[in-house]
Amino acid sequence: MEQSGTSTRLQAAVQDLASGVVSVLRGGDHTRVVLTAGTEGEAGDLALAAVRVLGADAMLPGLLLAIPPDPAEVAAFRKAVEAYPPRADAAPTVRWSHWGMARTLQRIDPSSGPPDEPGAGWLDEAGWQSLTHQLAVLAPLALPGEDCAVSRAAVLRPVDVARGFVRAVRRRDWRQAAGAGRWLTLLPGVPDTLGLESGLNFVELMGGQDPQVALHVQAARLMRTGARL
Amino acid sequence: MRSEKFTEELTGITGVDIDAALDPVEADGVYRDSRECAALAIVAGAGAVLLSPPTPRPKKG
Repeated sequence: MEQSGTSTRLQAAVQDLASGVVSVLRGGDHTRVVLTAGTEGEAGDLALAAVRVLGADAMLPGLLLAIPPDPAEVAAFRKAVEAYPPRADAAPTVRWSHWGMARTLQRIDPSSGPPDEPGAGWLDEAGWQSLTHQLAVLAPLALPGEDCAVSRAAVLRPVDVARGFVRAVRRRDWRQAAGAGRWLTLLPGVPDTLGLESGLNFVELMGGQDPQVALHVQAARLMRTGARL
Repeated sequence: MRSEKFTEELTGITGVDIDAALDPVEADGVYRDSRECAALAIVAGAGAVLLSPPTPRPKKG
């Protein structure tokens, strides 16, 4: 399907933002990734929308690497949360993405109180293919120690997510494979025969030029080596 | 919502664009050729059983 100019520009801005996050996660020089979202003008507003789409992962380096949050970055992130609340008819993934951002703000500033969780009943009824797709879209929620309805649904179905990971690799859907692999890193009961670490290396080899794939693989790698929030 | 409206006017990005990005349909599958399958089996090591290509089925006729 052909993308509109607007969605193409938004997707490019999301990719730029994801590249910045990957750079920090890999120990690059950049330490601020969402700051442009706080600036005025069209570029700032496009960046703000990009932060909303990338979701909680925009602040992932601060959480996983225990880097003290930059107040200007937190302000820009908060602005994205407030500017794009879920609409009344929003899909569950949109609601949960917004919840993940609010949860991140609460981690940074515990005085803000926990956000109310949206429902997750749609995951209980999902087949393994759909479950994997939905979890991959919500991969920013795959964080060590996170306890929410989505993560609890994932914990109950490690074999289904493993099957979904293999299916995504076979379909060359690297973004889905990376997101599913990030979840599998955290799930107990994943079959050893999956070869998750090798599989993630392969996903990075084949799809790592997509910054969102690289982001999930790098996040998974950090979590496998013991990164905690 | 005022800030969202203002952002829309500046960038043309609407809540619908955001929702579409956050609730994507599953990408169409593209299956690998046999060389890539072989590379995957080598890279995957212990996972080769799951990551290897499906067993060929006999052709009809």
